[in-house]
Amino acid sequence: MSLRVKFWLICALALITVILALPREDTVFRALGFKKASLSIKQGLDLQGGAQLVFQADLSKTQASQKQAAMDSLVTVITKRANFGGTSEVVVQRQGSDKVSVSLPGVKDVNDAIDRIGKTADLEFLEVNSQNNQTTATNVAGKDVDSASADYDPQRAQPVVRLKLKGGDATKRFGDLTTKLSQSGNLLLTTLDGQPTFGPAKTEPITDGTAILSGNLDVNAAKKIADEITAGALPVPVTLVEQRSVGPTLGRESVRASLVAGAIGLGVVAVFMLMYYRLAGLLAVLALLVYTAITVTLYKLSAFLPGYTIVLTLAGIAGFILSIGMAVDANILIFERMKEELRAGKSFVAAVEAAFDRAWTSIRDSNVSTLITCAILFMTSSATPIIRGFAVTLGLGVLVSLFTAVVVTRTLLRLVIRQGWGRHPRWYGVNMAEEGSK
Amino acid sequence: MNLIGKRKLWYAISFVMIVPGVISLMLFGLKLGIDFSSGQLSVVKGNVSVSTVDAADQGLGFKDVQVVVSGSDQTQIRFRDPAPQAQHEANHQKFKAALAKRGVTELSFDSVGPTVSSTIATNAIISLVLVSLAIVFYIAFAFRNAPQPVSPWSFGFMAIAALLHDALFVLGVFSILGHFFGVEIDALFVTAVLTVIGFSVHDTIVVFDRIRENLRRDKGSFETVVNNSILETIARSINTSLTVLLTLLALFLFGGQSIRLFVLALLIGIASGTYSSIFNASPLLVTWHNFRLKRAEKARAKPKKNK
Repeated sequence: MSLRVKFWLICALALITVILALPREDTVFRALGFKKASLSIKQGLDLQGGAQLVFQADLSKTQASQKQAAMDSLVTVITKRANFGGTSEVVVQRQGSDKVSVSLPGVKDVNDAIDRIGKTADLEFLEVNSQNNQTTATNVAGKDVDSASADYDPQRAQPVVRLKLKGGDATKRFGDLTTKLSQSGNLLLTTLDGQPTFGPAKTEPITDGTAILSGNLDVNAAKKIADEITAGALPVPVTLVEQRSVGPTLGRESVRASLVAGAIGLGVVAVFMLMYYRLAGLLAVLALLVYTAITVTLYKLSAFLPGYTIVLTLAGIAGFILSIGMAVDANILIFERMKEELRAGKSFVAAVEAAFDRAWTSIRDSNVSTLITCAILFMTSSATPIIRGFAVTLGLGVLVSLFTAVVVTRTLLRLVIRQGWGRHPRWYGVNMAEEGSK
Repeated sequence: MNLIGKRKLWYAISFVMIVPGVISLMLFGLKLGIDFSSGQLSVVKGNVSVSTVDAADQGLGFKDVQVVVSGSDQTQIRFRDPAPQAQHEANHQKFKAALAKRGVTELSFDSVGPTVSSTIATNAIISLVLVSLAIVFYIAFAFRNAPQPVSPWSFGFMAIAALLHDALFVLGVFSILGHFFGVEIDALFVTAVLTVIGFSVHDTIVVFDRIRENLRRDKGSFETVVNNSILETIARSINTSLTVLLTLLALFLFGGQSIRLFVLALLIGIASGTYSSIFNASPLLVTWHNFRLKRAEKARAKPKKNK
């Protein structure tokens, strides 16, 4: 590839990533005819506020062969329950062998969420003997119920819960049960987690698979119970073992603080590079801007990855800002080497090539050690998302910086030294006269 | 400039820097946060006095309550709720409401159960061991073609000596901070230590790389080669560290309160890493080389006497 082609490719890459990285990229999409396209960096709970809950399942009574299935259905049920509030970005994930983590961005009432998610919600139908008040189990249970909804019954003038049973066998069994009850005059008691919730009450034969449950409920309670029944019972009981919640003000404060810190960090590094390496420093700063644009674009695009989306947390931002420092390191290595070669009397072209060649092993070996650290951090941090976020942004930063510091800077430097004005040692921080007099 | 000649001075400086922290580590250990020891942590706005917290805690019976003012306008309230886990959140809500009544707003709340904290602690130790091992092997591999008189393994082990230097320094400083200022370490702290280790090796490798290159050209004694290599890379080492330290300083001063200690750990660790890569790792190569030479000479001398 000729130098010129490379240069234009880099320009194109820079242009595209800068457009995508800017906060208002959706206006560009709209201008191009994509109506709904928009990208955004996913923010962690410590930045946008919200709660992270970790529940541990009690698998002691579950058979070893059933554990996997129990955990899978636990995740399904918890996902349904956690989504009830309408919070769109709820993420429910399996964590380790027996834990489920739930992140609820922007949740206001954490206590309510914990209550809602952690309840077993085991629905039972019991037969109560009208003579001696003895209860006996029946062959109908919560798993036979398809869905439930809260309703208002004008006849009873109170809120009720309307049940819809699963078709076929479940409806038939419920029909048989209610028929038997109405004939014997026994009562139906409905319990939720062992607590009598509806009844005991007389019942008529119900064969169409719908039932109306009434009790002493207000509208909110009826709705909550209906939601619980619809989501289904948890297959195993759970306890809350970890909670991290951040208020929205602290989150906003953190975002502002990180942006300021990032801008100042970038600015200080840029000034330092310009003062110390002058023209070469300018090229490094340009490469650094390309680096920032590419990284931010990758953060945004990671939303389309099926496996892992980069969620930016405070620690992640620290990783990103740290990687700015490392991105510059590769350039410092190269420029120091270039100065040495120039002082040794090499021509500009030879000095640049030698600098890149010789500095490469150092750059490679030193960055690999950081990448190893990131990889190990990533592997051992399934229980600590905050560490994982740091490992991902730092690791990604190192990879991208290898590209920009080596490919982008080299191309720019090669182009510049072709020009007459680009071949003054002074412009690279080398004072030849001083060197000569030594 | 002869840096290698003064190597005993550099070792002494390191020794003086590290010993207080190591003594503190042995006497007081590290103050473990709730990530490792389980419990509850509520961060509230403003400077809140112990008596306010005690009044809000009325009837809830929280144990080990500690109130630490952090930064300019935040207070950390740590406690352990002896009630069963299922009641923790209800108790927390009561506590939060009692605080709110006294005009104190909660900014964030963390609660970590014992099973979670033991997982975090185990993972921390596993990752520390894995990172150290992986780095020795990587360096030994990367320097497998290193010319005599140094074996690839000694490069690896001297890099480990330097990284232990930095890890001990950070741990020591945080042990002292923990004992005197109530600073606790959390899961992020482990990340900071691991990053410092990665950085320390990063710096060390650059110098080692130059030593290897200069050994191939074979200029002068091993001591001279090492000394020249350090001098040739010192501008780079200092400049790189400066840029990283400047960005970290920006984060420390302007970044969020909740990562300030994390950034502090990185700052002192990376500063220490720069020192150790220049003044410890490579001089140690020379010390080790000389030690082996002497031993070899003795071994050669002995049989002669026997004759």
